[in-house]
Amino acid sequence: MACPKSASAPRYALALVNDRRIALVPPRYGPDVIGGAELVLREVAHGLTARGWEVEVLTTCARDHHTWANHYPAGTTVDQGVTVRRFPVVQDTDGSARALLTSTMDRGEHPTIAQQEAWMNDGLRVPELFHALLDDAERYRAIVVSPYLFWTTFAGGQVAPGRTILRPCLHDEREARLELFEPLFGGVAKLWLNTDPERDLLDEIWPAHSPAEIIGEGVPVPDGYDPVGFRARHGLGDRPFVLYGGRREGAKGWEDLLDGFARTVRKEDVDLTLVTFGVGEVRPPDDIAHRVVDLGLVSDQDRDDGVAAAAAYLQPSAMESFSRTVMEAWLAGTPVIANAASAVVSWHCDRSGAGLTYDDDADLEQCLRFVAEAPGDAEALAKPGRDYVLDNYTWPATLDRMEASLEAMS
Amino acid sequence: MSERILVVSPYPPERDGLGAYAVQQVRALRRAGNHVEVCSPRPSAAHHHLDLVGPTGARALARLARGFDRVIVHFHPDIFYAVPSTPTSRISTGVALAKAFRSMPPVEIRLHEVDARWASASEQVEASTRSGFLAEGVFAAAARATRSVFRGAAEITVHDAGHRDLMVEAFGVRPDRVRVVEHGADFAAHTTVDRATARRSLGLPDDEHVFVCIGFVQPHKGFDRAAAAFRGLGAKGASLHIVGSVRVDDPAAAEHQRELEALEAQIPGVHLHLGYVSDELFDRWIVAGDTVVLPYRHIWSSGVAERARLHQRPVIATRVGGLAEQLDDIPGSVLVDDNAGLAAAILAAVKGGTFRSADTVPATDEARAGGWSFDGAVDRDAVMAEVHRRSAALRGVKVDPTAGTRAPRKGEGSAAVPLRRLRHVPLPPATSARPGVSTVKKLIRRVIAWEVDPLRDQVTRLHEAAIQAAETTDARLEHVEHEVEPPVHD
Repeated sequence: MACPKSASAPRYALALVNDRRIALVPPRYGPDVIGGAELVLREVAHGLTARGWEVEVLTTCARDHHTWANHYPAGTTVDQGVTVRRFPVVQDTDGSARALLTSTMDRGEHPTIAQQEAWMNDGLRVPELFHALLDDAERYRAIVVSPYLFWTTFAGGQVAPGRTILRPCLHDEREARLELFEPLFGGVAKLWLNTDPERDLLDEIWPAHSPAEIIGEGVPVPDGYDPVGFRARHGLGDRPFVLYGGRREGAKGWEDLLDGFARTVRKEDVDLTLVTFGVGEVRPPDDIAHRVVDLGLVSDQDRDDGVAAAAAYLQPSAMESFSRTVMEAWLAGTPVIANAASAVVSWHCDRSGAGLTYDDDADLEQCLRFVAEAPGDAEALAKPGRDYVLDNYTWPATLDRMEASLEAMS
Repeated sequence: MSERILVVSPYPPERDGLGAYAVQQVRALRRAGNHVEVCSPRPSAAHHHLDLVGPTGARALARLARGFDRVIVHFHPDIFYAVPSTPTSRISTGVALAKAFRSMPPVEIRLHEVDARWASASEQVEASTRSGFLAEGVFAAAARATRSVFRGAAEITVHDAGHRDLMVEAFGVRPDRVRVVEHGADFAAHTTVDRATARRSLGLPDDEHVFVCIGFVQPHKGFDRAAAAFRGLGAKGASLHIVGSVRVDDPAAAEHQRELEALEAQIPGVHLHLGYVSDELFDRWIVAGDTVVLPYRHIWSSGVAERARLHQRPVIATRVGGLAEQLDDIPGSVLVDDNAGLAAAILAAVKGGTFRSADTVPATDEARAGGWSFDGAVDRDAVMAEVHRRSAALRGVKVDPTAGTRAPRKGEGSAAVPLRRLRHVPLPPATSARPGVSTVKKLIRRVIAWEVDPLRDQVTRLHEAAIQAAETTDARLEHVEHEVEPPVHD
């Protein structure tokens, strides 16, 4: 039986190729989605749209990256000029392949390709998104997929590798070394990286990677800050506080930070509160619960006012490929205390001179003591941070680099 | 008119040859305006996934297929039959699958592989250790069940006329229900780079004749044959690149990998590139090559040949399966019948020889020499040394090509010899002249197999590992001895 041709003109034939149409493929998308990579892609979408690009976002219906529950309705909507096409997440596997891979790697053994493939497909999958890309890939000048570890990136990045840009947000984690990812790192048209340390890591793990460009990302520069109003709105009084914003979970170093903070304040001579906002459960130890304030989700303005009011911003994550919140802190003139295990954040601190890094709880305690006991010096330490961000990580400069990279694609 | 079509196949992002084929067909069908859904045997980017093995799988597929206008099944036995299959499992699966295919919307079986013996009771009997009236009856029923699967489909699509004849003659499918479709009908190029760019990106020199063997590294692909045929050509401005990934969970493939690594170590110009190969990288290797070599021991049809056709690269291939028909219109392609022919074709390509389309290359004396060459006079020691080097490669032992070519002198010890002379643990024959005892022995073997077979396998693996370790030590010692005391030629 021959393959019948449709009597009606297929939509693919009608969709004219637009030289300035691009697709962005994040695993989640929306104003209420918490996640650095997702947030950046949303700003990229808006920024490029404002510069005359036709941007389509192909993403899931999920908002929460723990449950991957379909929260938004499937279908097409428009977000400030950006076409957003949402596809439902399918989760119908039992997680055993994920558990097997984890236990295999925990034993120091290397999983087989079959185990790696089963692991990748044993979680969220978005078949409709895959097929939308299969249908429409040639309509786009470029397809930007990010970050590397997600199924949407892995599957979507292999549909039309010749026009795919991988923005990996690479971390030094064991999954990054799975052979499974070689087609992404070595097969796509190009990679967009954030920093030099990310390139060093890429060179180390995937020496035969596709051409890579350091594009970086931008951080919006607030018009002003209201630290006093922030304290008043949240009843924080006059006690100095250190701040952490983002995902409160083990992968981001939250629990280790809480331990280190608790160890320090239990000595009862460090006068600091830990204020935090974002998603995830905070779970402070009972004896220091009064020294930990959870604000939950806050507005962008509240976030900016918060970092301006803080004595220091804390970045406990060892798995950062950029660290946008560190930039926000420096823009507000606030010093940063960061986990030295993150090569990227250490690099930022070293280059800017506006941050301290710690290797263990003893270091962390001393950093906290510094901002608590020498606030003037801490403020002076933070001074070069704002210029560092303005010189390197504003959206206009970042979008210039992105446009040049996109235009270089044939 | 737009149709609702269900495609049944392995599917991306799982890396699988059938999946790579199916996704291109799905893209073409969707672009033709059809509503296409995919069902894969494991979770993937397909819309559905079902365990399709056995009667339960067949019934589940029949339920899923309701509501579609037609169904395309990319058929490989491992998707539907237990592995390894038994005659009785082929009966139950075949009956259920045939019933499912008949009850479903029109089914097109796109045939990628099937064991032709499954359709014939007598051939199954010949291939089996079982005999007798009962066994013959079971085999006959298994053959009927298998044939009924293909007769249950509305259409069988195959890639060459040989397979069409097989379906008609061996499987009893009506001729009007078997159609030949081009293997690469839905294929699209995954790279746009030219040869020079591809070579630069892969670190290959511009001026070499580059032969490429590419695909999953499995013994039946015969990449070792290409490496052996390449002996002596590394010095003639050529290189052979074996590119592909090894399913490390497949012991046979892992063993084959060790053999290829040993060949790479001992044959200058042979290069092994093992690892995950994306579609783009796959095509880039084809583009970078001057000649694609498909030294398959057996195959139904070759997707690699279609990629070569797409990128206009000539192919040297063995005359197996449907390759002769597939290569018929690929310019400059060559068919060979044996290893000597393969060596002749590779040698001729290096020398710039051209062939008519799908020519058959006869073996030449030079090719028959198989790359055997010796410094100085050919004596027994030299020949034995080369024999040892080559046999070591077969056992996966890496031998430096510059190492001495001297056989051990009489009385010299080789650590590996006693181990190599030890035979693998044999299975005691389950036979007896006494009536009924053979059956009882076979029954006992079946009952205890679950416990005994893993132990036997482990002993075999230990034996092989011990040989490999001893031979590696021998090779190193010989290398050291060669360095300390270079051989003196008469």
